[in-house]
Amino acid sequence: MEQKDLREWEARCIQEEPPACRAGCPLGLDAKGFVLAVRDDNLPGARAILEKSMPLAGLVARMCEAPCEQYCLRQSLGGSVAIGLLERMCINAVPAKTKFLRLPPRPKKVAVIGAGPSSLTVAFDLAKKGHPVTLFHLPGGPGSWLCKVPELVLSEGVLEEELQRLAGLGVNFCQVSVLGEALWTQDEFAAFYIGQDDEYVEGDLLKLGVPDSITFSLETERLFTGGLSVENHKYRFITDVSQGREAAVSIDRFLQGASLTAARVDLRHGKTNLYTSLDGLQREEVVVPADGLGYTKQEAIKEAARCINCECLECVKRCVYLKEFGAYPKTYARRVYNNSAIVKGNHQANKFINSCSLCGQCETVCPNDFSVATLCLDARRTMVQEDRMPGSAHWFALEEMRSARTEGALIRHAPGKDFSTSLFYPGCQLAGIRPQQTLRLYGYLQELDPATGLWLDCCGAPGHWAGRVQEFDEIMKELEEKWHEMGEPLVLTGCSTCLQMFREHLPQINVESVWVLLAEKPPESAKACAPMALSDPCTSRHDSKTQNAVRAMMEKIGQSLTPLPMSGELTECCGFGGLMQNSNPDLAKKVTAARVTQTSSDILTYCAMCRDQLARTGKPVAHVLDILFQDVAHPASEASPSISERRKNRRQLKSQVLSKYHGEQPKATEDWEAIALTMSPEVAEILEERRILEDDIRKVLFHVQQQGKVFVHGESGRKIASARLGQVTFWLQYTETDGSFMVESCWSHRMIIAGGSA
Amino acid sequence: MNLSFLPPDMNWTCEPCGEKLQPGIVELQYVGSVFKVELPVCPKCGKALISEDLAIGRMLEVELLLEDK
Repeated sequence: MEQKDLREWEARCIQEEPPACRAGCPLGLDAKGFVLAVRDDNLPGARAILEKSMPLAGLVARMCEAPCEQYCLRQSLGGSVAIGLLERMCINAVPAKTKFLRLPPRPKKVAVIGAGPSSLTVAFDLAKKGHPVTLFHLPGGPGSWLCKVPELVLSEGVLEEELQRLAGLGVNFCQVSVLGEALWTQDEFAAFYIGQDDEYVEGDLLKLGVPDSITFSLETERLFTGGLSVENHKYRFITDVSQGREAAVSIDRFLQGASLTAARVDLRHGKTNLYTSLDGLQREEVVVPADGLGYTKQEAIKEAARCINCECLECVKRCVYLKEFGAYPKTYARRVYNNSAIVKGNHQANKFINSCSLCGQCETVCPNDFSVATLCLDARRTMVQEDRMPGSAHWFALEEMRSARTEGALIRHAPGKDFSTSLFYPGCQLAGIRPQQTLRLYGYLQELDPATGLWLDCCGAPGHWAGRVQEFDEIMKELEEKWHEMGEPLVLTGCSTCLQMFREHLPQINVESVWVLLAEKPPESAKACAPMALSDPCTSRHDSKTQNAVRAMMEKIGQSLTPLPMSGELTECCGFGGLMQNSNPDLAKKVTAARVTQTSSDILTYCAMCRDQLARTGKPVAHVLDILFQDVAHPASEASPSISERRKNRRQLKSQVLSKYHGEQPKATEDWEAIALTMSPEVAEILEERRILEDDIRKVLFHVQQQGKVFVHGESGRKIASARLGQVTFWLQYTETDGSFMVESCWSHRMIIAGGSA
Repeated sequence: MNLSFLPPDMNWTCEPCGEKLQPGIVELQYVGSVFKVELPVCPKCGKALISEDLAIGRMLEVELLLEDK
């Protein structure tokens, strides 16, 4: 990933866009942060947020007309959060900070003419930046129209206190009898601010002309102005303060010889790209202050609790994986970028990258189509290409794929035919998990069309998900060649993932889901069960045709379906997709558990992998085939087959097809296959968890029989043997009785033992 | 770091060497890293014993660490 790509990724995630209230504040106040601090009874924290954005917070918080409230998303659900009242409560409750940080003094003097809100703002902002400021005011004292504000709204003491803060920042107050042109023609000042929210000599302001609407600079160099609101303007005070702030930014830039306009952020006037869902939000009325004037602390906390905490997180709130890593896609994109950019040190995002199920739900729910799947898959490909993909991350799934593509693979026309109108492609998971049902379904397809051939193979999805572009491309090429050799028939898949792989990577192949065909002609043996919730596999997300076909088929059969919230286009991964279960089994367990808790009904699915994965939680899960063919139905509560059984099932299915349909004697089994094993259920569970196949154990024992190398315990006589099989060394502790092996434990490691000496 | 991984029970004999396993230095390699550790080894043929505890504990930890380097 290049830095340019990172920027593009980051720009897609809108989570850091400002909430509407902040976007609607002319000072850019973090209004949401402020309200949430009040809600959490953290008033000092709330005041600190006000001080951060407001000039003279004691004054601004009391006088601000709160234009932010007009953008509040709570508006239609009980009224906008009363941010203005909350600010006043907070500012009254928490004393001001006594010290302000002032930047080191700068040489050029600034004259601030007039003492209305805009001028006070300019004086405050520029004094904080270290500029020497002289504020010229009329004999009535600084404040202009603020001095006439009723005591109830702004007590005299407040203005006095704020003026003292200005003095504390080094602002020099200079009383003059009149405000007029003579003041902005003095030579000693490098810049002038003319605050029009005060009383001037008649006609003098007209000579100034109209200022630039962004920078508030006037045509005459050195002159800036603001405070232009008319007296009855709804947001008079805060608009003038905002104009003062913008002018202060310009004056600071002018004094430093910088551009007045470069990289200047325009006021947003409430506009933001942040998306916030209001789904499920209840109406709550605004809290009215009991005294009719202002909130008590308790009232304020109650009112602040109405804040809906605007944020997007559309993807994160639905995805266990995105939640697990504690952030959101914008941050994740940076982590992925850093992961590839670092030269030394740990690649800390490897786990994140390899844990994504690549299910694509995030992209579907994101208002901006951010695909974490694409981000992670690209990263995986780069890791493979740069030879830094952790060897253990996808190892077992890739071995499974390779096994299914060799010892489990078969492609044949129907018996007695030299062509196929269609080829049934059950997929390696259906073949491994439900071999008898696969055979039964194939039989039924032959009843419908005797020229239906069979293609047992793996579609290469694990290679694709693991980012192994070269290996996957080779698989696609092989599959295409085989399809050509078979006369280019229609391919009917029993697995949504296979269908997706064919459609996306071999578009020239005419492919369809077998469920679409069966929806037209369901077998007569089909029989409805108790109502179940239909879980669409994540690889069918954008395949509404298959999803609808399964539903239509169930309706025909009379099978009622209970609702499952995340279905169809919004469906969720079972925990296997994207090889999550290989790279992060603990997370996969959480994903699976979260999925099954979405319904109290039993689950029905048309993906063998989903059946296998979801059933591991103990939840009753049926496969569509259990409904279609009662004679070979499995109970929904049946445990999932082990990894060893799946391997064996694929081999046996292949043998059965060869003998049943083609009268061929299956190939002789490997020598090691005959080795007899026994083990307790606990040991079988350890094997499953450690992804050690019974085949591996047999191979180790066969190796021992050939090499004769074994460790024997001095007292118990139990043995330990090992063998390096591919990338892994397997160890086995066992006892041997009359040629039968009792497995006591088995473990493995990837490290290579280079040599040893005592 | 302690690089000795001798199991409490050293009562193992290598067959067919007929030798009792002795503490020995073994070289382990993984993704470009090499380290020497102390393990039970057959004094005759040099074959080392990786115990279950070591394989699923420290060894796995180091493997994962090295994979993320």
